[in-house]
Amino acid sequence: MSLKEMALKQSPACGSGSLGNYLWSDPPDESKWADCVHCGMCLESCPTYEQTGMEQHSPRGRVYLIKSVAEGKLEVNEQFMDPVFACLDCRACTTACPADVDVGGLIEEARGQIRQAMPLTGVKGAVNKFFLKGLFPNHNRLNAVGSLLKFYQKSGIQKVVHKTGLINIMPQHLVDMEAIMPEVKEPVRKKYKHEPVIKAKGETKNEVGFLTGCVMDVMFSDINQSTINVLTRNGNDVVIPQNQTCCGALHIHAGDRETGRKLAKQNIEAFQDVETVVVNAAGCGCMMQEYAELFREDPEWREKAEAFSAKVEDISKYLHDTGYEKPKGEINTRITYHDACHLAHGQGIRQQPRDLLLDIPGVDMVHMPNADRCCGSAGIYNITNPEMAGAVLESKMENVPDDVEMISMGNPGCMLQMAMGVKKYGRNQKIVHTIQLLDWAYQKGEAAVNKEGK
Amino acid sequence: MAAKGIKSNDKHILNLAAIVGGERSILYQKEDLVAYDCDGFTLHKHLPKAVVFPKNAQEVARLVKYCSDNHLPFLARGAGTGLSGGAIPLNGEVIISLVRMKRLLNVDLENRRAVVEPGFVNLKLTNSISDKGYYYAPDPSSQYCCTIGGNVAENAGGAHCLKYGVTTNHILGLEVVLPNGEIIEIGKNGIPDSPGYDLLGLLTGSEGTLGIVTKITVRILKNPEAKQTVLAYFDKVSDGSQAVSDIVSAGIVPAALEMMDKIAIEGVEAAAFPVGHPRDIEAVLLIEVDGISAGIEEQINQILEVCKKRNVREVKVAQDEQERGRWWANRKTGFGAMGAISPDYLVQDGVIPRSRLPEVLERINKISEDYGLRIANIFHAGDGNLHPLVLFDARIPGESEKALKAGSACLQVCADVGGTITGEHGVGIEKREEMRFVFKDEEIIAQTNIREVFNPDNLLNAGKLFPSPGRCVEIKTEMKAAASR
Repeated sequence: MSLKEMALKQSPACGSGSLGNYLWSDPPDESKWADCVHCGMCLESCPTYEQTGMEQHSPRGRVYLIKSVAEGKLEVNEQFMDPVFACLDCRACTTACPADVDVGGLIEEARGQIRQAMPLTGVKGAVNKFFLKGLFPNHNRLNAVGSLLKFYQKSGIQKVVHKTGLINIMPQHLVDMEAIMPEVKEPVRKKYKHEPVIKAKGETKNEVGFLTGCVMDVMFSDINQSTINVLTRNGNDVVIPQNQTCCGALHIHAGDRETGRKLAKQNIEAFQDVETVVVNAAGCGCMMQEYAELFREDPEWREKAEAFSAKVEDISKYLHDTGYEKPKGEINTRITYHDACHLAHGQGIRQQPRDLLLDIPGVDMVHMPNADRCCGSAGIYNITNPEMAGAVLESKMENVPDDVEMISMGNPGCMLQMAMGVKKYGRNQKIVHTIQLLDWAYQKGEAAVNKEGK
Repeated sequence: MAAKGIKSNDKHILNLAAIVGGERSILYQKEDLVAYDCDGFTLHKHLPKAVVFPKNAQEVARLVKYCSDNHLPFLARGAGTGLSGGAIPLNGEVIISLVRMKRLLNVDLENRRAVVEPGFVNLKLTNSISDKGYYYAPDPSSQYCCTIGGNVAENAGGAHCLKYGVTTNHILGLEVVLPNGEIIEIGKNGIPDSPGYDLLGLLTGSEGTLGIVTKITVRILKNPEAKQTVLAYFDKVSDGSQAVSDIVSAGIVPAALEMMDKIAIEGVEAAAFPVGHPRDIEAVLLIEVDGISAGIEEQINQILEVCKKRNVREVKVAQDEQERGRWWANRKTGFGAMGAISPDYLVQDGVIPRSRLPEVLERINKISEDYGLRIANIFHAGDGNLHPLVLFDARIPGESEKALKAGSACLQVCADVGGTITGEHGVGIEKREEMRFVFKDEEIIAQTNIREVFNPDNLLNAGKLFPSPGRCVEIKTEMKAAASR
């Protein structure tokens, strides 16, 4: 049976929406590739093209293949899937493109078609289902995993596993990851469960909603705490809606647009009472600014999604635009800054986080060449495509200046990946979130004042 | 064996794979080959037989020898940004992709030269030596991603060629794999001007029909002490082009002297790097002067004077490097920017005497009306190199064919006023037929005779650069068929 017959038999949700050899609704958007004139200006921006030199692993090549399926020249099959899923979704090509072609959007739409035409089966399917459907959208389960991780770290099992060589049975890239897992603390969503509004210190100027994120809150709850500290210190009441959920970026990157839509709807509703939604994870912020893309065929929700997206802001831009108190505490450190793809390329935020860092007394900023080059984390890409992710990480680490003590950035996925890079290549930099440094500088400033006061 | 993992029974595929070391260095399945069916010129498409990725000159030589011994047509490809179709596998060629040969082999500041592999990206050379105060002058607009190997094949130009010359003026030596698989070196040790015929000059710009370049020695230059950039807006094209002539005749040799017309401005302002050009002007000039600091100021004043005399509406000098960078990004991404106002474009590459510009633009305007297609003009005004961009929509039946004809008509105009059909993009597939606008049959045959010395079986990049004598009608039919595909 041909793919077409199979699809017809399964009667897609909306057959009328199909396009060429894309047989399901929500196909890649023709108007997106119509902007591409095949000039090739994107080539050098692409980390997978840098590694392979292969046209089908470049943005221009991918767009061309996606278009070829719509024109009926190619079918949705394994050979087409490979380049489409090997994309890091880093959006560097969007920055490079003279005609503003939305390559990232096309890739995500194509992945949606591939996942419907070729559902994941076997172990891969089970793993995908476990992480994406069972875990990330489910707050309680995530916390449970967090607790397990904490138990693993605190109980001594971690030590036993390492000593006995049990760790050697894990695939190498998972061993690398295990080694850099941050110490798990209490998630802020749990901590502030009974506090609907965390009041600003001093006079309230604004009220903001805060997306705590899934991975962020379990693995990096201290960054969430820092974000709350910085927000409240600068006159913001912080609301953490308890019915918020995972932003859906990982699902959409993996081609599961249906779950993505579900999560998007839940978040749109969860944050309907606030004017601003502050996000401290670049990937989540970027995704939430693009929710409307998920509802191209649903005008009612598209409108809601557009209104919601307009409210979403990265913490660094929010502070930059609304003003913040300059910290007084000194942090004497040499530091470099890594542009998370979904901040620099996805949201056009480059200078604001650097300005925050430069406002901290004692900080000595060192320029990192190619700072906006992907580190290879790319959501869960480092788990699904470890070899390519490793190669991309290697070129990233080559650019980290030798003599810095810290690398600052604004995205949890990058933080894990860069921490892995530091360990793997025998470097000794500390990985920090930009907002943590600001929080520490405030705290140091306060401590100094208190000391003087005594 | 080295061909492990290859899912093909074709003995040529297996043998080619063995030469380059296995499955990671060869593409042969349709889904992968589709991405190679054209380059920056998209009006002709053809699938290659395979794409191979050699690591060094020896592998290139073995690939070439294999193809030649087995009568497989083949060609070389760099980044595939060429605008005349030089890397399109018209005959189902084996594509030898040189992008993995991308090392900077040597920088010799004392003798002001550098040695690169062909896949090394143009701008990376300047970026690698700029901290020491040097740069590589030829700067095609695609310099962010095009390779120096491709630049040599096409004799690429760029905005700053007015003062500094095109690629051929910067090539000191080449290592070349000849179509029989032999490796030769021209301009040994980077010493140019060897006695005998100028083979460097012949190879540079031969559009990949004489050999495959595997190593290039280029000239590098010291950064100019100072640089100033000016933007000037004109209500009338004639005033703008008169200003261009006046600047040159005042004895100033600007490093760059660029012009864009109204539709081009609409494109770049709608795209990713807008700088806020007014939309109601007919022409913008981007003028740059560089050199020793003393005298720059005076040149700028002279330029401002000339512009004022020619009724400039507004003229401004870039205040800092950032502003200058924005102006250049706006101009250099001009072609790709057309994507923002049109689904497809065809760029032409005529050369005209500067003084004839107003007349030429008027005639191009007429062509635009006749064919019902909009035509934007981006112009290296200083050296008379005009780029009409024919905007069209390939999805509309017949429009691609119309675009080709309109493009050809623009070149006819250039030839008519005493110019020629290509300044820097090469002839490729696109302008084969238009070669007849400037050469007689005998002149074309004289040139193909030279090709035969190097490439006797015509297996290397066949069907490019020259029309086949007496095949004029056939070619037109081919173009038509390709356009309707």
